[in-house]
Amino acid sequence: MADLGRAALVTAFLLLAYASVAGTAAAWHRRRRLAESAQNALLAAFGATAVATVVLLVALGRHDFSFSYVADHTSRELPLGYTLTAFWGGQEGSLLLWLFVLCAYSVLAVLTARRAGRETLAWVVPTLGFVGTFFAFMLTFVASPFASQVAPADGAGLNPSLQNPYMAIHPPMLYLGYVGLTVPFAFAMGALLARRTDERWIVATRRWTLAAWAFLGVGQLLGAHWAYVEIGWGGYYAWDPVENAALMPWLAATAFLHSVMIQEKRGMLKVWNVLLVVLAFCLSLFGTFLTRSGIIQSIHSFTQSSIGPWFLGFICLVTAASLTLVFLRLPLLRAQTRLESLVSREATFLYNNLLLVALALTILWGVVYPLLSEAVTGEASTVSKPYYNFFLHTFGLPLLLLMGIGPLVAWRRASLRALGRTFLWPLGAAVAGGIALLLAGAGSSRVGVIAYTFSIFVLASIALEFARGTSARRALGGVGWAGAFSSLIARNRRRYGGYVVHAAVVLLAIGIAGSSAYQTVREQRLHPGDEMTVAGNRLVFRGFQTTNESNHRAIRANVDVYHGGEYLGRYRPGKNQYFAEDQVSNEVSIRHDLLTGGDLFLIADQVNGDGSVDLKALQKPLVNLIWLAGLVFIGGSLITLWPDAREERRLAERYEGATVRA
Amino acid sequence: MPGKRSPARLIVALSVAAVLAVFLIYTSLAGGTPSLQPSQLRGHDGRVSLVGIVAGRPAGDAHAGGLRFQLRDRHAMTSVPVVYKGTVPDLFKTGREVVVDGKLRNGVFVAVPDTLVTKCPSKYTPKK
Repeated sequence: MADLGRAALVTAFLLLAYASVAGTAAAWHRRRRLAESAQNALLAAFGATAVATVVLLVALGRHDFSFSYVADHTSRELPLGYTLTAFWGGQEGSLLLWLFVLCAYSVLAVLTARRAGRETLAWVVPTLGFVGTFFAFMLTFVASPFASQVAPADGAGLNPSLQNPYMAIHPPMLYLGYVGLTVPFAFAMGALLARRTDERWIVATRRWTLAAWAFLGVGQLLGAHWAYVEIGWGGYYAWDPVENAALMPWLAATAFLHSVMIQEKRGMLKVWNVLLVVLAFCLSLFGTFLTRSGIIQSIHSFTQSSIGPWFLGFICLVTAASLTLVFLRLPLLRAQTRLESLVSREATFLYNNLLLVALALTILWGVVYPLLSEAVTGEASTVSKPYYNFFLHTFGLPLLLLMGIGPLVAWRRASLRALGRTFLWPLGAAVAGGIALLLAGAGSSRVGVIAYTFSIFVLASIALEFARGTSARRALGGVGWAGAFSSLIARNRRRYGGYVVHAAVVLLAIGIAGSSAYQTVREQRLHPGDEMTVAGNRLVFRGFQTTNESNHRAIRANVDVYHGGEYLGRYRPGKNQYFAEDQVSNEVSIRHDLLTGGDLFLIADQVNGDGSVDLKALQKPLVNLIWLAGLVFIGGSLITLWPDAREERRLAERYEGATVRA
Repeated sequence: MPGKRSPARLIVALSVAAVLAVFLIYTSLAGGTPSLQPSQLRGHDGRVSLVGIVAGRPAGDAHAGGLRFQLRDRHAMTSVPVVYKGTVPDLFKTGREVVVDGKLRNGVFVAVPDTLVTKCPSKYTPKK
């Protein structure tokens, strides 16, 4: 079995290496047959990787502990679901998942993205092959998931914090996002290598970028929710390097999604777009590297491993090669038009880009600061929450404001009078809302009030856009309000889907501000019968209850919650003691208040021998808007991603002719 | 193709980037916390982030008088006593690598409450 897996990986490695070498030669000398053979090698590599993936899954499913990987990450008592998800519970399996997703994406991208043009595609194949070769090399020679051993009686088990339903969905989502950024990167490089520097590669990969970006966004929110319900400290994001690792490429991809619209519409920012796509890809590699190398102190830090130097070398190589290529093609990347005014739609996009990239780079600086300071002064130094929060406020709040301004400003050049007219309502709503918030006592946090006022402004401006669009379409005649509204969205999926995503970001901002700036925390030692209060809730401790489950012992503190005389129910925060893993895990208890969107978050911080509990209670207003934002985000992304026959025809008219001539 | 780009724009862009870079370096220098192992603690009386392996048996109550334990270097036996109050992470135990913020006071590392984090190993060496 292990031999089959190893053989499949060696085959994948050889096929991918062939695809990159033969593909390069074919594109260079314009050999069509050779190009087809390279492409077939890429497709076949997917098959080989799939075999390796299945082998590992089967080994996991059969508890075949002669696979070191299976023995190190599972145990006999581990439920089947978690046994299978242990696939990406460790380093080698994660790398295999990377390669598998990359190969699957490569096949789909090469087969569907014909619109990029044959010359570009001829270079895309070796680029994808090159990236794949690296991962297949790592899996074959450096970190093999198929290392075998004499089977022990039982495995070491899976880290208890990974035994959570989110384990099944969060890592795959993140990988779909990380790896997905390879596709636009490969097409950008392909276009540059083929000297096809028009916006065709952008159009051909638009959905890929969007999909990767959406997966990455959803993956991060799932991770945040996982941390919130499972890790049990009451937070969902801690600016940990591994969390930042996913945020940085997402920010770069967000910038890219905006700036490509300017290239499509106005033929500007070509160099910038290529640089952004390189940045996003390199950050996604860097993210994988951070997660897997343990080079930077992190609560997620994994044991020091041998893959670090390889990864670093590969990232340097990719960065150097792509920057050299961009530099060589600079003459071809001249803009066709120039920015006409600093008050225009494209200008707001430009500001948004600068802010997003600045945010991504400041986070990057914070992440690598321990390494840099150690290299310079000989002593590592770290930055923490205040540093990140400061830059999140400095760059994030203006970004929020821009989301409201952007849609209201015309392309090319906006007149002041038109601006005054469109701004009237959103601005009025924001000012009124801000005053109402101050009166309601939200002034305890200045950042909170600013975030809320900006949020109102953005929501009002989005609502105005929908209202104006709908009434304009209704004025065309023949349809009612509902019909006009749905046809408005159906005919402009990108635009209105984008607004829905903006609304999601606003919900996110409201949820984050509410749950951090306005939260209440209380902590107290309670003996049975004792009580404490948090934000008007009375918590009465009724003693412990212990039950034995298949692989752990569960200790629960029974806490009755009352609000104003009304009994709200019994909540059971506690701890699980896992036998095989010899570990304790915190099990929090959360009371969701759907009406206000807030949570009462209970943590049994310490279970004492004398029957008392150290109970930590947090009241987090509006926190559920963060998860609601996730749903809205998915909805908005789906609207923009949904195939649009009308747009396809328009694009076909614009590009197919050119392809035939070329 | 419109006329030649004016160098002014490039200069403005570069200077904005430079200002941002300087500002970044400044804030991280001012806000950065040195990250040290127990053997490097001597001579640091400000707030530092201490990285070490839990040695010996932890004693005391993190929610009352304070949890007391020893932290030692990753590859040496130099160790320092630590007193800590607040939430103790699930994975905390003897032999684990932890990070905790605090200050050295009369030879004892007095931790800032609720700053203790364990580094979580994704991989377990099988129990032999």
